[in-house]
Amino acid sequence: MGRRVAIIGIGLTNLEEREDLSHKELLFQATRSALTDAGISRDDIGSAFTTSYDFLEGRSLSNQYTLDSIGGVMKPCDLRLGEDGIYGICAGYMEVMSKPSDIVVVGSVQKASERREKEDAFQKIILASLDPVFNRPVCNTVPVSGLEYALAAMEARAYMTRYGITEEQTVKIAAKNYKNALKNPRVRNAKKISIKDIQNSEVLSWPIKRLEVARMTDAACVLVLASEEVAKRFTDKPVWITGVGWCSGTSYIESRDLSSSPYIRAAAQHAYHMAGIKHPAKEVDVAELYDVYAYKELKYYEALGFCGDGEAGKLIDEGVTELGGSLPVNPSGGILGEGNAVGTSGLIRAANAAYQIRGEAGDFQVPGAEIAVAQGWGGMPTYCGGVVVLSRW
Amino acid sequence: MSRKVAIVGVGMQKFARRKEETLNEMIFEVTKDALDNAGLTRDAINAVVLGNAVDAFCGIHNSAKLAVEGCGGLMKPMMMNSTSGSTAVSLPILGYTHVASGLYDVVMVIAYEKMSENLSPQAVFNTVYDEVYIKPMGLNVPLQCGLEARRYLYKYGLTEVQMAKVSVKNRGNALSNPYAQMPMKITVGDVLNSPYISWPVKLLDTSPVTDGARAIIFASEDVAREITDDPIWVRGVGRGANSCYFIGRRLDDLGRLDYAYLAAKQAYDMAGIKNPRAEIDYAELYDPFTYKEMQHCEAFGLCEEGGAGRMIDEGISLKEGKLPVNASGGLQGEGNPIAAGMSRLCWCYKMIKREAGACQVPKEVNTAIANGWGGMYQYSAAMIIGRD
Repeated sequence: MGRRVAIIGIGLTNLEEREDLSHKELLFQATRSALTDAGISRDDIGSAFTTSYDFLEGRSLSNQYTLDSIGGVMKPCDLRLGEDGIYGICAGYMEVMSKPSDIVVVGSVQKASERREKEDAFQKIILASLDPVFNRPVCNTVPVSGLEYALAAMEARAYMTRYGITEEQTVKIAAKNYKNALKNPRVRNAKKISIKDIQNSEVLSWPIKRLEVARMTDAACVLVLASEEVAKRFTDKPVWITGVGWCSGTSYIESRDLSSSPYIRAAAQHAYHMAGIKHPAKEVDVAELYDVYAYKELKYYEALGFCGDGEAGKLIDEGVTELGGSLPVNPSGGILGEGNAVGTSGLIRAANAAYQIRGEAGDFQVPGAEIAVAQGWGGMPTYCGGVVVLSRW
Repeated sequence: MSRKVAIVGVGMQKFARRKEETLNEMIFEVTKDALDNAGLTRDAINAVVLGNAVDAFCGIHNSAKLAVEGCGGLMKPMMMNSTSGSTAVSLPILGYTHVASGLYDVVMVIAYEKMSENLSPQAVFNTVYDEVYIKPMGLNVPLQCGLEARRYLYKYGLTEVQMAKVSVKNRGNALSNPYAQMPMKITVGDVLNSPYISWPVKLLDTSPVTDGARAIIFASEDVAREITDDPIWVRGVGRGANSCYFIGRRLDDLGRLDYAYLAAKQAYDMAGIKNPRAEIDYAELYDPFTYKEMQHCEAFGLCEEGGAGRMIDEGISLKEGKLPVNASGGLQGEGNPIAAGMSRLCWCYKMIKREAGACQVPKEVNTAIANGWGGMYQYSAAMIIGRD
């Protein structure tokens, strides 16, 4: 193909509740720091992609108000993807490769703090995203405040039963990620959370416990993507996007194999094929995965080929994915450690992976990281997600 | 390097209230039609791009995810895009980049909207406004279009009669369109006597609420040449976007669609078209309101700036005119399922292929342009397709 695409600028806000800032201001902050990081000005931007979900924003056409913040005014385009942030990178990649623009800005913002926790706003949105004919009436029988956890528990149970994964192992994942987050300066309210704390936290829907579910957070993230020629002009540390993949499985819950993640497997296969990766367990140096629930990280180890089917428990038991291990996963703290900025979290995973490639991850740097994988998921109750492979070379 | 991309098939269905159908059923119909039109099977599709304008119309969060089965996208890459009304063309542009980037060879693009599921589409539309500055002012879609239309007519000395002529033309053209929801044989007097929605825009200057979907299949050069002797190429794509704040726009003139001029320039530059009036044979322009077609004729260079009134007066944009616009009936005649305004691009394809049946324009069509418009009166997207 000849043409390559690199990330030349990263902008990521702190992960904390910001009641003093509007979502436009928060996104502007991330854009500002991404442009400064890339050494470009607003005029250099060719086009802009944002990702957001209308219902979560509480506003239809939720993209139109991000346009001003992201430097897209009177530019060739602003495209909203109703997807997780990781899809933004895939779309931005295609945009640069097919040449309407040389520099593409990909951004996403989430202000979870504007939703009313007490009124179960988020749970009601999950109900609204279910098929209205077959699935919604069934899920209506679950108290709405526990819907998300009930759906997650079904999946967790199916997976854990099939492969003999234990609750100790999912707890270990959460403990690892909370520990990693202590080293991440962007997590402003990171607390020491022990294995005991997690085990003793409230059971939301067996086997899911309160501290195995990521809390909500506000955050904005912006990446600047550029073609090879442009990238070389602006930076000596380009982070190359060598593989992208995304996939959607069935939308009907009853048709799914809840014990595996075929959509991530397919997305990963596409991304690995592009990147020329044959043995992900050996070749990938660091990964940032979508661990909204602790058991999800284990499932994704398998889908991403970090181990065989059913072997994820061994990886965490042997410490392979710890910060000092041979394939550290979520050294930033992941979504459990950082908090979940729904719709933006996938982009944040990629930003953290890009910092690793640049060697700029600070205290949670994986020494000598050259190939990193970032993965996103559409969130409960979707069955879709994307994978991006980043490389130093 | 960017690859050449062709359109190899389109899928259509009648625009109508489809309350009895699920999203999947509605989308399945156009998917099947497009596959048949292209002579392909579901297995040939590598990736799917889905889009609608506003999820709240059908009351399903993330509604594209529920159409995976109907669009043939099961266990395939599927991406959802929305720029409100301009999704009509920004969506096929995303489909185009899927192929042009070299990532996929055959991509199915489906635009859909299910507006009959709610009690009032206007109430849904009111959820788009900024809660700090705009909502308190009480602005809504009709008021906003009244403001814009008024400024446009005043700036260029155009009249409500000229707007009415566009309505008569498009609703009349729709009489030959089997997919049209509301074809009508009316007179300029009928339009002028219809009640004002928001001065100067009258009921018959607007387009009807409806349900429906459209599908387009894009293919790489190699694949396209394999399946057809007459591939229709994507020759140019363009997009433009302006600030969502009326009050904050730089040039601050509602009468002139700066962002659409920007989209036009990008698309024409890419297609190597210097004189659109001579080189474009046919246009399908986004006409949710009559004056919008006039504004778009100007922005896309089909007449000089301010010349849209003369264009309709002289009959240039009539079906048998020199440069026909919306011979299918446009959104006015065919119905306006916001994002499924991608129908405009489908009709361009059918006109070039001479598959447009009773809607076919007499002149030969080799190059055509379609556009979409939307957001807070802020987005425009255009695609030029044609033979080499």
